Amino acid sequence: MTVKKRSKPVSVNPLKIGQSLGGILAMQGCYRAMPVVHGSQGCSAFPKALLTRHFREPIAVQTSALQEMDVIFDANRNLEEALNAVLSKHRPDIIGIIGTELTDVAGVDYQSMLKSYKRERNMRGGLAFSVTLPDFRGSLESGFSVTVEAMVDELIQQAGLRGQRNVNSRQITLLPGSYLTPGDVMELKEIVSSFGFEVIALPDISTSLSGHLLTGFSPLTRGGVPLDSMLQSLQSGLTIAFGASMERPARRLHNALGTPYKVFQGTMGLKASDELLNFLHQISGVPVPIRYCWQRENLLDCMLDAHFQFAGVSALAALEPDHLRSVSEWLDELGVEQKALITSYETPAVAEMEREVWVGDLDDAEVLGSGADLWIGSSHGIAGAERIGAAFLAAGFPIWNELGSYMNVSVGYRGAMEWTNKAGNLLMRREAEHRESSIRHR
Amino acid sequence: MEPIRKEEIDDQACGSLAPKSKPCPRPKPGEAAGGCSFDGAQITLLPIMDAAHLVHGPVACAGNSWESRGSLSSGPSLSQYGFATDLSNNDIIFGGEKKLKDSIDYIAGRFAPPAIFVYSTCVTALIGEDMDAVCKEASGRLGIPVVPVNSPGFVGSKNLGNRLAGDALLQYVIGTGEPELEASMGVNLIGEYNIAGEMWDIEKLMNQAGITLLSRITGDARYKEITWAHRAKANMVVCSRALLGLAKQMESKYGIPYFEGSFYGAKETTYSLRQMAFLLNDREMERRVDRLTEREENRLSHDLRPYRKILKGKKAVLYTGGVKSWSVISALKELGIQVVGVGTNKSSDEDVQRIADRVSDDTEYIPEGGASRIIKTVKERKADIMIAGGRNMYVAMKEQIPFVDINQERHKAYAGYEGLLRLAKELVDSMANPIWKLASSPAPWDKEGSYDR
Ligand code: SF4
Repeated sequence: MTVKKRSKPVSVNPLKIGQSLGGILAMQGCYRAMPVVHGSQGCSAFPKALLTRHFREPIAVQTSALQEMDVIFDANRNLEEALNAVLSKHRPDIIGIIGTELTDVAGVDYQSMLKSYKRERNMRGGLAFSVTLPDFRGSLESGFSVTVEAMVDELIQQAGLRGQRNVNSRQITLLPGSYLTPGDVMELKEIVSSFGFEVIALPDISTSLSGHLLTGFSPLTRGGVPLDSMLQSLQSGLTIAFGASMERPARRLHNALGTPYKVFQGTMGLKASDELLNFLHQISGVPVPIRYCWQRENLLDCMLDAHFQFAGVSALAALEPDHLRSVSEWLDELGVEQKALITSYETPAVAEMEREVWVGDLDDAEVLGSGADLWIGSSHGIAGAERIGAAFLAAGFPIWNELGSYMNVSVGYRGAMEWTNKAGNLLMRREAEHRESSIRHR
Repeated sequence: MEPIRKEEIDDQACGSLAPKSKPCPRPKPGEAAGGCSFDGAQITLLPIMDAAHLVHGPVACAGNSWESRGSLSSGPSLSQYGFATDLSNNDIIFGGEKKLKDSIDYIAGRFAPPAIFVYSTCVTALIGEDMDAVCKEASGRLGIPVVPVNSPGFVGSKNLGNRLAGDALLQYVIGTGEPELEASMGVNLIGEYNIAGEMWDIEKLMNQAGITLLSRITGDARYKEITWAHRAKANMVVCSRALLGLAKQMESKYGIPYFEGSFYGAKETTYSLRQMAFLLNDREMERRVDRLTEREENRLSHDLRPYRKILKGKKAVLYTGGVKSWSVISALKELGIQVVGVGTNKSSDEDVQRIADRVSDDTEYIPEGGASRIIKTVKERKADIMIAGGRNMYVAMKEQIPFVDINQERHKAYAGYEGLLRLAKELVDSMANPIWKLASSPAPWDKEGSYDR
């Protein structure tokens, strides 16, 4: 199926989130890390505010604070200053420099600047890498995966491994996509480790953005995967990536180290969970733990109970590409009509979906999805959902109208059950409201 | 490329009267916090609720910022729409002016707004888009005002953006319309953004005193009321740091006197209402204001009694910007709270002077340093509560420090007499919450080392 686009000169209520925010998010999943956004103040302040609002956690990020003349004359002087300040004050283990559209358009070469900086300072022992994430390409998802890819590259460089690894076949590296919540990542780690594997998630937002109470404030990230675990992950016998966007970093590991990998494009619903558990069962030879067998039955029972609620119901979803694909598969299993699927930019994964996908904004969602009963998307969609009279199910990024959404689980049988119940309840409430208002207006 | 920030502006202090005081400081790489000028311009203009606000640039500047302000509307909501030209790689290579023009046309055709504000961003400024020309042409063709706001992020801080937005209002909006009714006795409120509906409390008070609120600049405003702001008899500058320049220029251009005031705390509120009546030069009105403020103050002090009892002697660290850095101190003092630390990061020299007038000698000034510095002060001074903006909210939570949000994202209105009562209640509620005890007591199985704060 091809991806379509409505013709409209202006983006009305954007769905797209800048790539750089994805990069900042990826860095939050590493311990004692600091992303440095190479751009003007706003390019780090906006994402910081938005991420804080979504996760309800302090977010580590700094900026090279470019001003007009810096951009034109010497942007890298600011970057050097920023690196000096961050290194001397906070001593981070990991620094990720995130180039913005500003440095891109101005043609700033910070890659080679970083190289010489590292050489001059004799920087060893930590990770420092740079990525280019202009906001006129891609979206949150690509920013996240490109950053993880660069991180993996830098790890491989740092470890200096050339073929001679001690492969630990009981250890698996997880590459969780940007659409997974800290709760999701935790669940995935648990599922995989329940088959007897050591699991290292890269990055791991489940221990940094899930609401821990480590005392003592630090401007660096608190929690997340520590550098030594990251290095240790290079010995893993297998990589499992969740979301098609994470295939590239998985391939990096494969090309450099020969680590085999498996990509799960869908992560939601019965079939996706079956596929994951069966795969783990086969590679480990361990029987599926009894609790997942129970959960599977729970899910099936829940879907039976809920199917009355979903009969004849239609939904629209406006999400990042990998997330959209996952949600669409879950909707398929519920028999819900998919009135409109809207995403932020085109990727091969959405292009090969069997359904019509639109690249667009939330205004397109309103138009294409008019008449839908359920709106699935970020909090930016609340107003639109109200205008078309759809029930609103918060998903994706950003969510600010709910507490604890960062702990929501969508993966595994448990996740599918949570979502099915939540969506069903929303529809039930909406139905009751309609009934009530029709009685009143008679 | 010609610099956007011209020299005269550069020399001017941040909202300061004194020409010699410090200019807006250059943000330090690696230690900077806070938004860009584009952000500041939006904060000032987005509360014009019926207008369309179009961001010219790659999508993130708009995509990351829309729907992030707590500025409420009593009716139209077009300003809550996020409009962006969403430039792609190609647009940047070949220029985005055509796309901008088409976007303006599209918005005008579909939403029929009374006006469109168009914001430049770093990238469109860098590649030298002639936004002014596009806006001018579109305005003539479409017959509605299309106002260019030249405040790309990289020209400086949020504050500078506030001022550049003020300049846009002065240049393109104020003076282009006439009031519907004969309302020559009106006052403009400048720099009040109706966060959490504060404007409505203020408006109620002004109505009760018989003072006409002519133009709201810009909380819950409609475009056309700003066009006739030049007909006011007085200006009150509520957030001085941001838009004092606008008031000054209105004074020299239209002869409208202004004063700086605040609505945080009963005393400041009373002073502000009195000052309005004074500038309107109406004896009867002054008497009405006196009666009203006396009645309100009496009622408030009665209602506040139970809260004062609890709050007396409590210590607070206040970290906020501009006018709030001093005006909130007055409000807290009226509640019996001692301010033991105060942020001066975003305060002009005058703000600092006003802070000094209101706090005791051993109050600590926190000029910069962000979250860790604030927390250090809270701990060293044994403060009971931290009052700051949303950015620091979760930092405080990690340290288990009671917190009240005072900035743009908050949901409670603290202005006026009613507002002070609300603030008192909020402070008491947050300090009295059972969570502080629960969070600081260890789990039963590791009781040995109890870490009482
Ligand atoms: S600094 Fe420039 S590019 Fe960044 S958000 Fe502000 S206007 Fe946009």
